[in-house]
Amino acid sequence: MNSIKNIILNPYNLTDQKIEKALSIACSNKIDFADIYFEYTKTESWRLEDGIMKSGSSSIDSGFGIRSVSGDKSGFAYSSQYDLKDLTKAAEMSRSIVNHGQEKSVKLGESKKFKKLYDSTSPLDSINDNEKVDFLKSIDAYIKKKDSKVDQVILNLSGTHESILVMNSDGIKSIDERPLVRFSVVVILKDKERREQGFSGGGGRYMYDEILNNQTGYKFADEALRQANINLNAIDCKAGTATVVLGPGWPGVLLHEAIGHGLEGDFNRKKTSAYTGLLGKKVASSECTVIDDGTIAKRRGSLSVDDEGCETQRTVLIENGILKGYMQDKLNSRLMKTSSTGNGRRESYGCLPMPRMTNTFMLPGKHNPNEIIESVKKGIYAVNFSGGQVDITNGQFVFTASEAYNIRDGKIADPIKDMTLIGNGPEILKKVSMVGNDLKLDEGVGTCGKDGQTVPVGVGQPTLKIDEITVGGTQL
Amino acid sequence: MLPLELKKIKENLLNLSKKISKKYSYQFGIGLAEGITVTSRCGSIESIEHHQDNKLGVQILCENKQGFAGTNDLSNDSIDKTIEKAKNIATNTQPDICNGLPDSNFVTSDNMPKVDIHHPSNLDIKEIIDMTHKCEQHAFDYDKRINNSEGSTFSYGHTNSLILNSKGAYGMIQATNFILSCIVVAEDGKSKERDYEFSTTRDFKKLESPEKIGTQAAHKTISRLGARSIKTRVCPVLFSPEMSVSIFSDFLSSIQGDAIYKRASFLSDQIGKDVFPNFINITEEPHLPDGMGSSPYDGEGVLTRKKNIVEAGELKSYLLDTYSAKKLNSVSTSNKGLITNIIIDSEKEKIPNIISTIEDGIYITEMMGSGVNILTGDYSRGAFGYLIKDGEIKHPVNEITVASNLKNMFKNIIGLGDDIDRRSIINTGSVLIKDITVGGAN
Repeated sequence: MNSIKNIILNPYNLTDQKIEKALSIACSNKIDFADIYFEYTKTESWRLEDGIMKSGSSSIDSGFGIRSVSGDKSGFAYSSQYDLKDLTKAAEMSRSIVNHGQEKSVKLGESKKFKKLYDSTSPLDSINDNEKVDFLKSIDAYIKKKDSKVDQVILNLSGTHESILVMNSDGIKSIDERPLVRFSVVVILKDKERREQGFSGGGGRYMYDEILNNQTGYKFADEALRQANINLNAIDCKAGTATVVLGPGWPGVLLHEAIGHGLEGDFNRKKTSAYTGLLGKKVASSECTVIDDGTIAKRRGSLSVDDEGCETQRTVLIENGILKGYMQDKLNSRLMKTSSTGNGRRESYGCLPMPRMTNTFMLPGKHNPNEIIESVKKGIYAVNFSGGQVDITNGQFVFTASEAYNIRDGKIADPIKDMTLIGNGPEILKKVSMVGNDLKLDEGVGTCGKDGQTVPVGVGQPTLKIDEITVGGTQL
Repeated sequence: MLPLELKKIKENLLNLSKKISKKYSYQFGIGLAEGITVTSRCGSIESIEHHQDNKLGVQILCENKQGFAGTNDLSNDSIDKTIEKAKNIATNTQPDICNGLPDSNFVTSDNMPKVDIHHPSNLDIKEIIDMTHKCEQHAFDYDKRINNSEGSTFSYGHTNSLILNSKGAYGMIQATNFILSCIVVAEDGKSKERDYEFSTTRDFKKLESPEKIGTQAAHKTISRLGARSIKTRVCPVLFSPEMSVSIFSDFLSSIQGDAIYKRASFLSDQIGKDVFPNFINITEEPHLPDGMGSSPYDGEGVLTRKKNIVEAGELKSYLLDTYSAKKLNSVSTSNKGLITNIIIDSEKEKIPNIISTIEDGIYITEMMGSGVNILTGDYSRGAFGYLIKDGEIKHPVNEITVASNLKNMFKNIIGLGDDIDRRSIINTGSVLIKDITVGGAN
């Protein structure tokens, strides 16, 4: 059984009865529900730079958080101490959100069973530390040998094993053990006086061998080198509006920013989203069907069960352009009289859960990607992005390309420098006129921030064409 | 005075460290934080969060190799395991002659500068809730177009941190932090906008009033209504104090030691060169009373001191820790893991009501996205702001981009406003920069 039980519950003698007592205190009769979340997370990270296996770090984070929910109110307390005294104190602090009432009796059942989307073992122990180190050294040597312009290589290999146990006042107990690994490559090239960089990486909920074997690591190294070489020849970009073709995979950041956040339950319950009240309305061209799916095996954004103990699912957000649904956690779905979609996530035991994305992507359309590029007389083809951001209230979003090209007469032409695209979420998807048949999910490096909490996510999309969007460049 | 809990942990650490063989050197860092965050929304409490965080960080060095390990369990058994883990990691890394603890200038119990950033406050939860209610209500009362809210939040944090190493460094910092903020939504039938205001201080008594925060949040939100895009142009851009903080923080990232020795910054090899116009001075002042960035020592216990970073436009200093200093044949500037208070100053007079001096330009109050490339200086971000004509704000503008290169942006600064924002560790007023490309939708 899971490490929570071996490392926390048993050594501290936290029996079901004691936890039931804490939940009873947290859930007085004026409280709708209460939950307690135990977490034990081990993280490690190895870094090679300047040609040296420079440092490694390892950390353990563990604790519990108790939450009491009454209507739209949440009381919350957490601690990294496990005495019964601490449990009871936290429960009392948590329920102080309402005036004292009678304690409710809570009876915990057996753990719920869920589909298994990943191994429950720890990637940290899946191979020896010296194998991780040797891997990074061999990638470093490979990159330097391949290109004489290499000035700097920065490699990071990290692994996490997160064990969680959620128990709530309905007596439901859910356990999950989540592996996560990530590898990233930054290459800086120097050509005469010019320096440019390329970035690549990937990961997922699996063991290190998926990256160390099968040449996967070398594939990321090649990709970072390729991008850096392209950037060495990039020219300044023209400012103004342009037709933009987005490549498949990681450019799905567009969906994450332009619509994903705006369809999270909390913003819609509070009516602060640009998508508030648009359920059933047309918010995108009929080419667009957008899904959030937490159930894809081994993906970075996937979870067997979310951080509130609800099973994850495949949720249709937009179907043929029509807004179909929001992503929900327990609190917001109760208030909106619907049910959780398994999107209740939290960064750690010290944070309150909220609706968050898992893997968000657009389904493939009918066009061949070449046909999409050929349809553009003058425009931009953007294939890699460094990130994005959105204002969910007015719908304005940006995302920044790290690899992009001019399109001239239907052909990919010169590479252009870092440029930002800005648009309005509810408007931009109506301007998607062609969707490719080449759906691709990203390689598994995405991290999403909201209210100061970060969680791993996935994005994806086929090649698609936006008829008009504003582009930030230095040239007129 | 050392709080009891920290005193106990310090004694435990000293005992445990006696067991560490002399061939290792080490540094321990402890952080204990507690606090409360309360949010009220639309007139009622939305959440009360009680925070309590512990953290131990261990750095172990052996024959120029190093390992780090951390935990939030401060029991003796756990500390022991964490030390062992750091030793293990150190054995798997490669020797680097630049690794090592600081040789000099480190904090001890005798030499610690007094920095006044600790003002514990006994706040009643009812008083806190009341403050957030009032703050939000002032926003709603400001204008009837303020029709929704993401709430008003108050948070109070109290941190104790301790550092000690095998060379005898020992230091302790106690600090408090208070924040009151308010986010509201306005609608006028055509557009819906959201904006916020906040105040943050070390001393509760100096926090801005709920009335000021609520009213200002409402004012900022209302003024965004009716925004439209503009034609693409090259023009002078006035960056609000908050956006100027963002630009100067990109400057500080570009002079961080690790970016410099990796040659990953466009400001590598620029010491002694003119990076800003000659009327600009930038200094670091680590010991300002109540300063949001004030600290007596840095993340490896090196005593902080005042220094000139930019003097009459010329770059004088990078931000170095012991490691990057050795890499660059220099000495630590006490910037391991932190930058203290940064003062942006001008030999020219700071300009009052700087908008009135602009004939034709854009005032930028918000930027979005990650389009800042420290390696090349290339700059391209999404923005929100206001069109300025003949010294006056004409209308809000959205869906625009600002693009340039940081190198040019720094050189093209033509004026600093006197509207200094003291909430950030970077103290600056608004900054006027000429020749920026603003991309628009029509």
